[in-house]
Amino acid sequence: MSANVPRLYHFAAAFGAGGLLTLMVLFNGTLAVHGSLFFASWVPHLTGTFAALLLLLILRPKRVSATRPPLWAYLGGVSGGITVMLTSATMNTALALSGTIALGLAGQVLFSLFADMRGLFGLPKRMPSARDYGALALILLGSVILIFFGRSA
Amino acid sequence: MIVFAALAVLAGALVSLSRQINGRLALSTSAMESSFWNHIVGLAFITAAALLFGGLFAGDPLAAPWWAWLGGPVGVVFIAAGSWLIPRIGAAQTAMLIIAGQMISGVLLDLIMGAPGNPLARITGVALIFAGMYVGQPAKAVASKQT
Repeated sequence: MSANVPRLYHFAAAFGAGGLLTLMVLFNGTLAVHGSLFFASWVPHLTGTFAALLLLLILRPKRVSATRPPLWAYLGGVSGGITVMLTSATMNTALALSGTIALGLAGQVLFSLFADMRGLFGLPKRMPSARDYGALALILLGSVILIFFGRSA
Repeated sequence: MIVFAALAVLAGALVSLSRQINGRLALSTSAMESSFWNHIVGLAFITAAALLFGGLFAGDPLAAPWWAWLGGPVGVVFIAAGSWLIPRIGAAQTAMLIIAGQMISGVLLDLIMGAPGNPLARITGVALIFAGMYVGQPAKAVASKQT
């Protein structure tokens, strides 16, 4: 299957989602200051499960397809859980938080480029354009500057 | 050191892997249902890991301010957004724009909270990110495909 043509509202939504991520990092990070890292990930997963259930009951979104998705498609949360543990392991090394974040961005971008090229896990295949690479390079460069120089410790 | 660096890269890759898998689930179900499964499966996994390693209730979490407990519902919308976006604009653009949004809102938050920082680095970083978003904006892609 081919991917839809991206629209400006898709861009705006993704950018806004990044803002939500900042809030999550602030909330969960503050929880981690007082409790354990496990706790700071366990609580949002617990409250999030109930919040999602509530939203499902209210919105009742239609299932896109009548055929059942493969079982592995339900395992996205495991990958997220492992991320929490890996991050908590590297944060306290010489990498510190800034190094962990910067290398994490590299991992995200590299994997997602590869996933697009191969259409991994049954998602639409798309070859990144020269413009995509240019945009990525600029955004990563800006991010690295903000991560390492934007905050004076 | 190199091991930890590799683990940090792996942690990032797992973020994208998770989004890819959740996106696949959303293709058959819905973005919100995908977010629900991500949370309940993640909850089971973290509970098992916490039981194995212990220390879940270490520290004094009840001393945290009330708003620190609100991450869950925000995460539900965040995961649903990622699951909705990834089949539509692709993994790389989803990741790129979420990173851009995270970085710029992070600077905004720092400014609001009065966190100390280097103004020149902040301006340069934000300008580069906006430049990247301008280069990658879909308006051009749409126009070039329609002609």
